[in-house]
Amino acid sequence: MSGSQDISYQFSDRLPIDPIEPGSTVMVAGPKFSPAEDLALSMVADAATHEEGMLFLSTNMTVERLLSACQQSQPGLEPSHVGVVDCTGQDIGDADSEAEVMYVSTQSDLTGMGMKFSSLYESLYQNHPDGRVRIGLVSLSSLVMYADLRDVFRFAQTISARIESAGGLGVFTIDPSMHDTQIVNTLKQVADGLVQVRDADADTSKTADGELQIKGFRNQSPDWQPFSL
Amino acid sequence: MVVTYFTTSYRTTAMSYSLLYVDPDESTQTETAATLSDSLADLDPDISTAVSLAEATEALTVDLSVLITEYDLPDGTGFELIKKAQDVCPDAACILYTDADVSQLNTDDLHGAITEYVGKHSVFGDNRLTDLVRTSLTTTPHTDYPKPQTEAERLTALRSYALDDPKLVESLDRITDLAAAHFEVEIASINIIDDRSQEFLACHGAAEEWESMHREDSICTFTIVEDADVMTVADVAEDPRFASRSGSLIDMGIRSYMGASLVTASGLPIGTLCVYDNEVRSFSADDEAYLKDLATTAMNLIDAYARTPAMTDDGGAQ
Repeated sequence: MSGSQDISYQFSDRLPIDPIEPGSTVMVAGPKFSPAEDLALSMVADAATHEEGMLFLSTNMTVERLLSACQQSQPGLEPSHVGVVDCTGQDIGDADSEAEVMYVSTQSDLTGMGMKFSSLYESLYQNHPDGRVRIGLVSLSSLVMYADLRDVFRFAQTISARIESAGGLGVFTIDPSMHDTQIVNTLKQVADGLVQVRDADADTSKTADGELQIKGFRNQSPDWQPFSL
Repeated sequence: MVVTYFTTSYRTTAMSYSLLYVDPDESTQTETAATLSDSLADLDPDISTAVSLAEATEALTVDLSVLITEYDLPDGTGFELIKKAQDVCPDAACILYTDADVSQLNTDDLHGAITEYVGKHSVFGDNRLTDLVRTSLTTTPHTDYPKPQTEAERLTALRSYALDDPKLVESLDRITDLAAAHFEVEIASINIIDDRSQEFLACHGAAEEWESMHREDSICTFTIVEDADVMTVADVAEDPRFASRSGSLIDMGIRSYMGASLVTASGLPIGTLCVYDNEVRSFSADDEAYLKDLATTAMNLIDAYARTPAMTDDGGAQ
């Protein structure tokens, strides 16, 4: 294994994704009911096996649902390593969770999201070796429903820049089937690479949860590959 | 034929950075400003300070690069200042550097304003603030428009051309005349996309009256990130990238748009050739191909006027 692989963010063997360099942001794109969101959560939750922190910006899953979904792929995941900016609007501030949670009342409050993200990121950064933190933004599609595209672009780009400067790993999700091509092409600009997701085909559906194709990163296979969650 | 000389002595300028740091605690202000000055010496920023909302408001300028502010100010809040900065200097990065508890701040009134947060008592302290300011100055992630991944090289390439040569501008004007005639539109232009602005280098029709445009209001700044080097907008009012600005675009006579990038030999887009229609309109693949051909011709002309003809735009000798 090379030196760069040692510091790159690694994924479980179930995901056919080679290690990704610190500071990178990946856009995971797939339609509703595809396993795209579950793949993104799994890519972040794999932090649990590498002593890394996890920070989620969640627009459509409460903290409990989010942690439950992550624990599907990582049963040993410790909530104390997780930070969540919960933007679902369902403020349950007394929820019994060891995760560090901040609430934002509405998805149009990008200012509040950004500031609370920064605050939680600092906390996770100092509590994990070498400041290694994986960040999941689930999902950009939801934000575009509530805020102007240009504002969402600026927000996502700012988050991506913070991830880059802190050596984190960003995993953002988008559902291209929900948007015009212009929206998808604009938001893709904030990421260093793209992971496209589709359902497994008839041959692989018994053994795989879906297929993925990676674009924009060197040293990654350009082919569609099956994956399991 | 309309021949327009670019009389405003168009020159792209070297980067300069200005910071405004607002903190009512003068000892903290002095210490932090000194730290920023030392840590960012290589960027040579111009750092101004203020202690109140009123004083800071006076100091806001369109060229401000970064605004750093405490939340509690003697005559208002940092959020009030950030809202004012959104109007005066929309490209400025805003950083709340504060003792205040971020979870207690009401951010409802700042919809869309992306504000970075650094806690004064963060374990990272001034280092985190310095890193953030440096990132904001050098990569400007707070803009609401995408930039090519080769932005720095692109700007270096742009600065290697003598774009204010009247003979070049006259030749480029002829290309805009050809484009306007072919597509039967009233307005066409050749534009340069600089660090923060779009400059109209050669024009046909009403574009002759247009002045420099802020990059966030420019359609062309989206064209230069297109993989295909050409972009069409059938109706600015229906396009989610421009809908929020469509009123002013339509007032300029821009309802539909087609632009092709001016791409250097090294693949760097320095500007665009565009045609604009005042009605909703779609463009065909043949239309796109023709405009790209004209853009290539324009770029060949610009290449002939390179300031440093002995060098390629990636710095190597030809």
